[in-house]
Amino acid sequence: MSEIKTIALLGQPNSGKSTLFNNLTGLHQRVGNWPGKTVEKAEGSFVFDGITYKVVDLPGSYGLSANSEEEVVTRDYIQSGKADLVCILVDASQLERSLYMLADFVGVRMPVMLVLNMMDVAEAAGKKIDAAAIEKLLGIPVLGFSAAETKRYPEFFKKMVSAIKTPVCLDSGSLRDELVGDKTEDLISRIEVALGDFEYGVCEKIWIAEKLLEKDKLVCGIVNEMLPFARKNAIETILDSEEGRDGGILTGEAKYRWVSKIVRESATPKSINKVFSKWDRIATHHIKGKFFAFGIMVVSLIACMILAFPGMGIGFGLQPVLESVVERVGNALGIWPVVISFVKLVLVGGTCITVCMTSFIFSIIFVFRILEEIGYMARFSYAFDSWLSRLGLQGKAIMPLFSGIGCTAGAVCGTRVLDTRGQRLLALVLLWAIPCGSKVAVVLFLASTFFGSAAPLFGIGYVALIFASFYLSSRLFGKKLVPQNERVGMIMELPPYHKPHWKMIAAMVGRSTWGIFKKALKMILMVAALFWALSYAGDGNVENTLLYKIGNAIEPVTMFFGMRWELFVSYLGGMFSKEASLGIMSTLFNHTGEAFSLVTRVAASENLGEALASTITKPEALAFLFASMFNVPCVLAMGTTYREAGSFKWLCAIMGYYVALSLGLAFIGYHIGLLIF
Amino acid sequence: MKNVDFVDHLSLAEMGENRCGTVAQIEGDSRFISRIVSIGLTPGSAFTLLKNDGRSPVLVFCRDTVIAVNHKESSQIFVKVES
Repeated sequence: MSEIKTIALLGQPNSGKSTLFNNLTGLHQRVGNWPGKTVEKAEGSFVFDGITYKVVDLPGSYGLSANSEEEVVTRDYIQSGKADLVCILVDASQLERSLYMLADFVGVRMPVMLVLNMMDVAEAAGKKIDAAAIEKLLGIPVLGFSAAETKRYPEFFKKMVSAIKTPVCLDSGSLRDELVGDKTEDLISRIEVALGDFEYGVCEKIWIAEKLLEKDKLVCGIVNEMLPFARKNAIETILDSEEGRDGGILTGEAKYRWVSKIVRESATPKSINKVFSKWDRIATHHIKGKFFAFGIMVVSLIACMILAFPGMGIGFGLQPVLESVVERVGNALGIWPVVISFVKLVLVGGTCITVCMTSFIFSIIFVFRILEEIGYMARFSYAFDSWLSRLGLQGKAIMPLFSGIGCTAGAVCGTRVLDTRGQRLLALVLLWAIPCGSKVAVVLFLASTFFGSAAPLFGIGYVALIFASFYLSSRLFGKKLVPQNERVGMIMELPPYHKPHWKMIAAMVGRSTWGIFKKALKMILMVAALFWALSYAGDGNVENTLLYKIGNAIEPVTMFFGMRWELFVSYLGGMFSKEASLGIMSTLFNHTGEAFSLVTRVAASENLGEALASTITKPEALAFLFASMFNVPCVLAMGTTYREAGSFKWLCAIMGYYVALSLGLAFIGYHIGLLIF
Repeated sequence: MKNVDFVDHLSLAEMGENRCGTVAQIEGDSRFISRIVSIGLTPGSAFTLLKNDGRSPVLVFCRDTVIAVNHKESSQIFVKVES
């Protein structure tokens, strides 16, 4: 049994934490949930010199105050003392501000190491930082680093190994010195006296006193619970005094004084280069900024399509070739038709469709990663915050929502740019209502088949319904996911523009796409196999399939929503992919093909339109049209949603919501249709 | 909160673009204070106001960072403007 050491990564958003995490752990990472929380937990591991290191990527936060669920998780983990080393990352190019995290950590008795990340950016801006000087000043290991440059990792490992071998904690004396001569000193020492022998995990009394002054809800709650009445009262009196009421500001000032001292003694005076360029003047303009952002969105979407094109081409191009090869080879060898059918319709078709679908996911992750890396993503937030905050979302949610037009499954992966898990889940819910290209094509095909020249009306109605569904979703889910008290107005940094590290981004995106591909393939093959088993008939007669029997049996129920069994099966197929929905209709209404499969791409032929129009009544068409509009996007969207939500429960909740919404609309459409037509 | 005479103090929301100043006082609940302090704005910190169009979030340059603060909230931050 080899030794296992745990490293916790702590840092502010944009400190490069996820870059370090990804480069350290590569493919060995697991994303899930913190127990009982809606906060993402990213864990990974790597082996160095025979020792296994477990890396925990703590949610990004600006400090250690417990204001959001993310911050609570971060703090709980640190206080649990589970980590052998807490690795604090700060942005060297914004040293003074980002060292606040370290200042907030003073008083926590945990072995710590400081990584001054993005040294390359700081140096390019003409700033020189002496890591050794900071190390001497603080007495903890300090490393000047650039997480995006893989060649610098040996330095990291060396520092990390020695930091674990001889663990050192931050000394709180220097911060206490900063409080000397300040009103805070008196406040802090009075609280410390009142706290008496109170103990709180790895936290020193000075830290608890600071948090009490900052009115930190958790610490106040625990102190309230644990302390005897008299001492509790004494603390309350201090906090209610005139100075005590300004405690949060006083401790903040002291921490920044502590930080300034470090910066003064270790970094060359900052070169004030105004980071507000002409670009930013446009990007943050209240009208031009939106147009500019919209332009970037369109360009990004086009870039996604171009990037996805080779993968799509390979998938779509290979499918017919491979299928005919399987058929010919199978027939020549005299293999049972049932085996040939399975290989062709499940294995070959399923793999090809997975390649097509994941290629779009790849391109979206890639383009998003670049936008984030160069620092533009935060500008989206700035430009669209006033609009999206009404739905409870951050402004940058516009980007994943917009790319939903290209591909829902890919856009789902893009929701990772949002800061909290609640935001991500809410964006996922909204995103499922946004039709991808294929869904639009199916809806327009159905509308024009049944309602001819009135089809554009359906287009307009569809858009209106989507916005109405946004409102409904944000009312239903918003309150729980993004609680009202967490919806503070925007306070954020606009990070400086960076040059993207192409190689590192490509490697990172490649790794996550490969992970998604493997999972997607498994799932698509499973669903395709199940559907194949239900729909296979040796003699090619639809009536001999299991699906036919089941479909007929439940038709009385589905007719309640205005869908005869063929349409209901197509609706179910639409949950796999929109193409499958059309393919199934082609088979069922045109009676073509030996077996109907989810993975054959039968284009909607003219015949299909005629066949549908002659069999289906107008109210039924209306029902199916509505059901298709808000149907579950596709099997891969389910898969990526499961991955991003990190919980099966949430996937089921979102699916259930859209099934209910689509069937509810189908019901309404059908019954209104019965009255009209 | 302390009673300070704000006759010659402006709030960030009222300040003109491209002017320099220092933060004088921040008002609000502990949550807001903790957010604004952790992002780098504390009483005494010097900054340059980069952008204020009266509706979009205010942009200030402080501690090497461009910080955006919602317009409504920016009226809770009082500043001394350098002449």
